[in-house]
Formats: sequence, structure tokens, C-alpha cells
Amino acid sequence: MFKKLSVVMLSSMLLFTLTACGSGNNGAANGTNASSTAAAGDPTAKPASGEKKVIKILHWKQENINKAIEEINKKFEEKYPEYKVEYTTTGPDDEYKQAQRARITAGDVDILADLSGMRLSPKDWTPGAKVPDWQQWIDSGLIADLSDQPFVKNYNANDISKAGTYNGKVYALPTGKVAMSGFFYNKEIFEQNGLTVPTTWTEFIKALDTIKAKNIIPIVVAGKDVWPLKLPVFGLQAKILGGGDQEKWIEGVWKGETKYNDKEAVEVLDKMKTLQDNYIIDSFMGIDYATAPSIFATGKAAMIADGTWDAPTIATANPDLKFGYFPIPATEDAAKNKSLVGKYDVTWYAAEKGPNKEGAMKWLEFFSEPENYTAYVQAAGFLPTQDNIQTNSEFIDKELSPYLTGGFELAYEILMINRDNVGEHLAAEGVHTEYLAPGGEFKTAKELADVQQKEWEAAAPK
Amino acid sequence: MYPFGKGISRFVPFLLLLIPLALYVLFYFGPSVMTVIYSFTNITNLPGSGMKFIGLDNYHDVFFSGNSGERVDSIIRTLYFMFIVTVVQNGIALLVAVIINQKLKGDYFFRAVFFLPVVLGVAVVALVWSMMFDPLSGPVNQLYQALFGYKDMFFGSFSHAFGYIIFVQIWMYMGYSMLIFLAGLQSVPKELYEAGYIDGTTKWQSFRHITFSLIAPSFTVNMLLSIIGAMSTFDIILATTDGRFNTRTMAYDVYKETFRGSLEMGLPSALSVVQFLIILVFVIVAVKQMRKREVEY
Repeated sequence: MFKKLSVVMLSSMLLFTLTACGSGNNGAANGTNASSTAAAGDPTAKPASGEKKVIKILHWKQENINKAIEEINKKFEEKYPEYKVEYTTTGPDDEYKQAQRARITAGDVDILADLSGMRLSPKDWTPGAKVPDWQQWIDSGLIADLSDQPFVKNYNANDISKAGTYNGKVYALPTGKVAMSGFFYNKEIFEQNGLTVPTTWTEFIKALDTIKAKNIIPIVVAGKDVWPLKLPVFGLQAKILGGGDQEKWIEGVWKGETKYNDKEAVEVLDKMKTLQDNYIIDSFMGIDYATAPSIFATGKAAMIADGTWDAPTIATANPDLKFGYFPIPATEDAAKNKSLVGKYDVTWYAAEKGPNKEGAMKWLEFFSEPENYTAYVQAAGFLPTQDNIQTNSEFIDKELSPYLTGGFELAYEILMINRDNVGEHLAAEGVHTEYLAPGGEFKTAKELADVQQKEWEAAAPK
Repeated sequence: MYPFGKGISRFVPFLLLLIPLALYVLFYFGPSVMTVIYSFTNITNLPGSGMKFIGLDNYHDVFFSGNSGERVDSIIRTLYFMFIVTVVQNGIALLVAVIINQKLKGDYFFRAVFFLPVVLGVAVVALVWSMMFDPLSGPVNQLYQALFGYKDMFFGSFSHAFGYIIFVQIWMYMGYSMLIFLAGLQSVPKELYEAGYIDGTTKWQSFRHITFSLIAPSFTVNMLLSIIGAMSTFDIILATTDGRFNTRTMAYDVYKETFRGSLEMGLPSALSVVQFLIILVFVIVAVKQMRKREVEY
């Protein structure tokens, strides 16, 4: 009898262990607290010198940017000896998101970084859309209003209004932009084959055929991580959807005026399918993001679909490589194809209920001084959001600037507001061309598009 | 007889037991029960935002919303994962344990080798196999090409990725099951085999009726561990495919909804509860079945 009882006890204990692992709330908050505490050393400890006021900054790990910030912190502490900056970094993505949530809700941070500016805020035509984290924080009074801070004027007004303003008030500083709708190309391979940078889709396909005929892999993409496949698609979407007015198309899809399986949306999928079927490296679905640049840098592939942020990685992988960048020529209209699509990167928020709000303002002001900002933006490799900044980067000044004069469009993943519980073929603000053959199950673009439209309708709010 | 004395001091051991019990209730039982309660609310991760009971809305979202098809797929995939892992892992483990138990030369060495993956941990195992299964330069693909003239995408393949994850899971935990079987095997008295030998049993008969019957308790433990382990696996999936390429399971969904989804905690709680109930059913059935055939000679 006792033996039986003990088995029952044992199995129920195992089960509880399991549910405790899977359980929501308490685990989430505690776990992140612990991890960020570990990363910070010991944030609860009083500063050694007693009098100094601590400014707590939270950021994710990204070596080049972290170094630049640490430099700025050092200069800041020299200029304002009464402050001590405590700069905590965690792993990127999920780990960071957890740390962010835990620290902001605990009031244990003064300045925190977020990715991609303010985005995905529900509109009146998006009933039932999820409210993003940053907006919930602002609505619950956790984020400081920066509208009256003089340093906001240092930034380009358009960038501030696009990526830092909510309900008419400035809450965030977008510190840089990245472009991602294009290809890095190997100049030597292009020259040897008498190719120039293609400006229309037909030219592009012709160039790809020429390269392929020489037994050089035309394009490499890190398909295993899936998201790199979205990058050329962002270019296609921005130029094709809504005849080039993507925002109108997105609003239309919510209102039922445009569809995922209408002509334009299918054209986007179809063009990407053409690339995947014929010109992107075989077995691209097995190549991860860390490996892909080396395939391009060693000259095995003529182009790589990647964001401008990866230029330093490519340059490091092969310092002798001569490479440029061009936006995907999505349509037959060369003038339309000429601009880049991208997003905002590191965006600063200041906490309203942090331990040292006044210090946070001082730090942001110091950061925004053109001299410090220039050092930062150069190290990060971003396109600056302050005007008249010398990036000192040949890549940005020579390769990208011709494409920046015609405007800069935000990518689909930034503009799109998804429906709650939308199916996997539309999840995470993407259209998921990985589901197309050869890797995926859909033989034609139309088949995938039909499923997407069905999933979109199924996720409609009741 | 009375190490704590008589009278009131008899209760000292119970008082001491209260400490771990309190810790258990506070950190294990409490959160588990709260998860069930949260699953009926719209609680979020934001302080001061309050919570409201919304009845079965979260469960409705799990089973009847835009992406419920995927959630049901996840559940089916979890069950498939559980069946294959439980059967194959324990089958191989039993075989290996029986062979090692023959008092082979160097059995300690083999035991250590087979147990090694358990010690390595998920992150290392995932890294090792990601490199082995690299479609460009990994050794496995070169082997495939040499033997069958065939290339695979491994963790990047919609149709095969899950199979490879099952393989890695079995590879990783087989040693654990083997060790439990081995402990069971070593407790089988030799006399029984001798008695069987005198009665003229064949090798198979002595395995089937002596060994297999007497290691039934370790069999039960192993089955339970692999059923619960397999159903709650998400770490190896996270580390190899990150849920892409049709490899999501229930436990992975719970993780994703909790830590990567929105700030809402009601839906992930509901998912946890559903997962708990499914596992509970399987565990109860399995325990009942296996308890029946445990014998003592």
C-alpha cells in the first residue's frame, strides 16, 4: 500500500515540477531579475564612493556599440563626477526582452534601449491588435516624457516624429537607422563579367543569369535563421504593395480592401520564389547567419542579401574584398527602385519611475551632443538620425548615400500591425517565403498566398 | 526508539519537516496552483494593471482562434515525439544495459561513454549536432553523399528537422535510461538464472521471464521519466531549430508565449494547464499499466 502511495506521490511531484517549469508569471519575473542581477554584478550595492548618484542603463550585448557607449560613459563621468553610470548588458533578443520587462516594471532602470523605434501601435482600423510593450509602459506612466528636453532638437525632426513620438509627445530617441532591402555585391566579380549595378528587375535577372553561367553562386542568404530571407522581400513589398504605398496596402488588408492573395502580394512572393528557385545558393535553408558572410567574403558567391549593419563583418572576413551595396530592383521603374528600405535601430527610453530620472536626462543630453553622437554612430555603423554628421565610413558615404537622397522607407515588419493569433504563414510580421518550394511545402506563390489570406481572415477579431 | 525523546519533543522532526514543506508550497505548489488560476484571467506582466476573470476565454483562444491549427499540430507533434522517444530510447537503453551487464571487459568505460551526453547538457549537445548536421561542411552530409548521393538540410528542413531532433534527444538521454536499467539488472539475484538453467530455459525465456519481470520497477521509472521528459521538452528544440521548420511542441509553445509573446500571461497559463492535463492522462494510464506487471519472486 505504502509503495503504491509513494509512486503516486513521486509521479505527482514530477508533474508539479513540470508545471512549475512551464508556469507563467512568477517564473518570468523572478528568472529575469536574477539573470540581469548577475549581469550587472550587484546593482543593489551602494556605490563605493557613497555620494555618487547611480544612473542605470540597460542594453543588449553588441560589441561595437557597447564599446562606444562605455567610452561615452567614461567621458560623462569625467565631466559630471557626481554621477556614476552603471551600464548593464544582457544577451540579445529574448533575454534582453525579459530583462527589459523585469527592470522597467521594478523601477530598477533609468535608461533603456529598445529596438526599432516605436512601432506596431494599434490604429483605429486595427481592432483587437495587441498593444506593444513600449506603449503599455507609456500608458502606465513608466516612461519619461522628453518633449521639453532641448537635446531632442539635435535629432532630425522627421526621425523623431516617425520613431520617437506617441500621442504628440516625444518619448524616445531613435539613435540610428539601418537599411536592409539590398544586396552586398562583389565588385570584382561584377567587373570581370562586365556587369553594372542593375536598376530594374529585368536587368537584375539578366545579371544573375550571367553570373550563374560562370558557375559562380549568384546570391547567398542565411535561410536557416529564416529572417534573412525577409530582407529582399522588404524591398519587394515596399515597392510593389499598394503600387509603392505600403502603408495604404496594410490599412487595406485590415479593412478588406486589399488581400494577401491579390496580384501585388502574389508578385512579391513570386519574385522571391524566382530568386530562391534559381539564383540563391543550394541548401540555403541550412546556412546560418554567422556562416553566410564568409561565403560571400571568400568570393564563392557574388552577392549576399543582408542588412547594412553587417558591412563591418564582411570587411573583417576579407579585408581585401571590394564590395558595394544596392537596393533590390523590385520593379521595372528604375527611379522607384532607387531608395532603400530599413528600420530604426537602438532607441533610448528614459524611465519615469527610475531611481535617478534627473541623471538619465543629463546622460541623454550628453549622449546627444553632436561630438559624442558622432563617435557613437561611427562605431555602430548606423545611418545617423542627427543632421550634418560625418559618418567617416566609406561604405555609408560612397555606397549608400546615392540611395539615401530619394527617401528612406520603413520595412513591412515595422509598419505591419499583425492580428492577434494570426497563423504561422503570417506570424512575426512576415510573409515567410521559406514555406515556398524547394524547402517548403508550397509549389507556387499563389498557393501560399491563398493560405495566408485564409489565415488572415481566420484571425479577424470577433 | 525515540531519538528526539518523548512527550512534546516527539514532534520536533515534524516541525523540521515543515521548513521544506513550506518552501515547497511557496515555490512549487503555490506557483503551480496560481498558474491554473491565472489561466482564467487576463493578467499581464505589468504591475498595477490589475486582473480580471475572463472565464474560459484563454482556452477558447487556444483551441478556436486563427492559429489554433498550429497549436493542435503542436500537441500531435508532442505526442508523436513522446511515443517515439519513449519506445526507442528505452528499447536501446535496455539492450545496451543488458550487453554491458554481461561483465564485459571495460564495462565501466562503456558506461561512462554512454552516459557522457547526459553530462554535456543541452547547449553543448545542440552545438555539437548543429555542427555535425551542417549542410555545407558537416560530416554527416558528406557521409550521406558518399553513401546515397543524397543531400539533406537537417535542422533547416521542414520535413526532416523534427526527426533529427528526436534522434538528438534519444542520443542525449539514452545513457540516463541505461543507467537506471543497469541498476535494476544488477539487483536480479543470480540464483534465479541458475534455477532457470536447471529447469532448461532458453536464453530468451530467461530474459523474458526472469530479467524482464524483475526489472519492472526500473522499467516503470524509465517510462515515467521519458514520458514526462519528452512531453516537456523544449530546450533542445530551442537550441537547434528555435521552433522553425515544423518542430514546435506544446512545451515550446508555452515557453514562447510566456517569454517572447506579449505581456499577457493568461494564454500561456492556459497552455500550461492544457499541457499538464495531457501529461497527467498519459502518466496515470502508464503507471496503472506498468504497476500491474511488477512482480517479486
